[in-house]
Amino acid sequence: MRNNPANIASAVLTYGFVGLMAFLSIFPFIWMAFGATNSSIDIIKGRLLPGEALATNIANFFTLVNVPLVFWNSAKVTIFATVLTLAVSSLAGYGFEIFRSRHRERLYRAMLLTLMIPFAALMIPLFIMMGKMDLINTHIAVVLPTIGSAFIVFYFRQCTKAFPSELRDAAKVDGLKEWQIFLYIYVPVMRSTYAAAFIIVFMTAWNNYLWPLIVLQSNETKTITLVISSLASAYYPDYGVVMVGTILATLPTLTVFFFMQRQFVQGMLGSVK
Amino acid sequence: MSELQLNGVRKSYGGFEVIKGVDLDIKSGEFVVFVGPSGCGKSTLLRMIAGLEEITFGDLTIDDVLMNDVDPSKRGIAMVFQSYALYPHMTVRENMGFALRFAGVPKAEIQKRVMEAANILELGPLLDRKPKQLSGGQRQRVAIGRAIVRHPKIFLFDEPLSNLDAELRVHMRIEIARLHKQLAATIVYVTHDQVEAMTLADKIVVMRGGVVEQVGSPLDLYDDPANLFVAGFIGSPKMNFLKGMIETGEGGTFARLPDYADARIPISLREATPGTPVTVGIRPEHFKEHGTASLDLTIDMLEHLGGETFAYARHGNGELVIIETKNGRGLKSSDHITARFDPGCALVFDESGKRLR
Ligand SMILES: Nc1ncnc2c1ncn2[C@@H]1O[C@H](COP(=O)(O)OP(=O)(O)O)[C@@H](O)[C@H]1O
Ligand SMILES: [Mg+2]
Repeated sequence: MRNNPANIASAVLTYGFVGLMAFLSIFPFIWMAFGATNSSIDIIKGRLLPGEALATNIANFFTLVNVPLVFWNSAKVTIFATVLTLAVSSLAGYGFEIFRSRHRERLYRAMLLTLMIPFAALMIPLFIMMGKMDLINTHIAVVLPTIGSAFIVFYFRQCTKAFPSELRDAAKVDGLKEWQIFLYIYVPVMRSTYAAAFIIVFMTAWNNYLWPLIVLQSNETKTITLVISSLASAYYPDYGVVMVGTILATLPTLTVFFFMQRQFVQGMLGSVK
Repeated sequence: MSELQLNGVRKSYGGFEVIKGVDLDIKSGEFVVFVGPSGCGKSTLLRMIAGLEEITFGDLTIDDVLMNDVDPSKRGIAMVFQSYALYPHMTVRENMGFALRFAGVPKAEIQKRVMEAANILELGPLLDRKPKQLSGGQRQRVAIGRAIVRHPKIFLFDEPLSNLDAELRVHMRIEIARLHKQLAATIVYVTHDQVEAMTLADKIVVMRGGVVEQVGSPLDLYDDPANLFVAGFIGSPKMNFLKGMIETGEGGTFARLPDYADARIPISLREATPGTPVTVGIRPEHFKEHGTASLDLTIDMLEHLGGETFAYARHGNGELVIIETKNGRGLKSSDHITARFDPGCALVFDESGKRLR
């Protein structure tokens, strides 16, 4: 029965499809890894084997780019964006779910609607706003617009539905004020929700490109994504050097994901048990 | 001494009133049980006492101090929740000491009180576990321990046993009764289970639809219910209710059961108008061989419990009557029987459900 032709055909189709998808998502990584070891010419020619130019590429990257400064800029922006987004958006999501008020749902729906506005439409007004506040070419300007994330608020509100209201009652009887309930009960109980949100926010902030490209204008403030793209769009781009850069730029998100994938999956499944 | 007092207490959500004026006196050391069907407002009333719900109208005093606007943690109460509500990220020890830590009690004193409670509840070996690693019964004991360490004046329990299996429920019920003695504590306890209410309470408060129907000791409510609802709610199996009629004849006023062969329940004329329909209530265990009134019935179904038998019997008019008997082993389905009872044990209720005496 397991070997009848229909089953075999469906297995072939399934594995074929999964294999194709796996190839499509892994191929860029392989290309990136091999590319970093080849000269620019070989990459353009389409060489897909390990080469001997790794040391040269790394040396070139470090002379072309002020690596410590660029990473420091990226790290600063990412850490501030992540901490502030998690703090503000989790408070908002918790508040939306826990506290009743007459206009709650209307406000919430309005907030969700903002998810449908493409960033391109907001870019110019945001830029003008930052200009008025004299924040152009600062990291504050990069971080500020990302803090109130409608998606993360939504995610926290959904997860808060599983937070038992009797825990809040117990905490009130134990003498906790609202902010203490949030800090000492909600945050630790929801830590896998925070972990999942952390990964999402961290990656978004680290990989953020379009907005920093607009507000960061001097080389002293630029983040890694901007620097790599400027390398790639040079008149004679050295693709080997670009590949070294992308590998270095991918490492932090890979590391974060590697260490937190268990919490990430848990958070996606629902954190209160 | 009256410790907890409710005066005309009401609660509305929006325009909808769920507690419709409750007056209640609870004495120090008393075990009071709120009982009633689901949705009648027991939890709401308890949560108002705890300070978790605002009181829309009326006064709540504890030790003669008005408590309406006092913070839950300052009312001298502790609460045990239905879901236990243990903090999942803390060990048993931390759970129990948490309130004290927030109240600024010194570490050594916290430690002492936690150990004391752990001894009472035999929680010693579990102190360093997380709630996740405990069974339902153990979590329940931790929840009680968390209440005990605070040395409250009043313990509040909201359906604490409803998440446990039947055997554990009986065990914990005995445990809670023992605790009440040992701590000489005042306890307000909510349940929808009348057996729990009967076995635990010094005083039962029967509620329905946001109103207190009757307050009294378990046996008072059982023997002397004020109305049809209380009569039907207290006692298991339920009291039988039969259609009757008030009649005057030789020897006084009776509630007669016109459909049945020979059954007259004497009542005083003061409360009854001849010719009005009434409901006559007879408890299953009040059927006795030497009774002077009788019902002619056909047995539908039998439940043999060994010690006693419950016979579900039907009258020609379709009314079902449950009879409890000690010597029913010989009975069979579709047997015709004459069930005798003492008319003095029967209760009479008017059409509105009020008891006629
Ligand atoms: N927060 C609330 N908002 C509106 N209605 C409520 C709220 N809490 C309880 N109720 C209503 O109050 C009534 C009593 O509820 P509750 O006290 O929980 O009943 P019980 O504990 O006796 O089962 C129910 O009809 C319930 O729907
Ligand atoms: Mg309830």
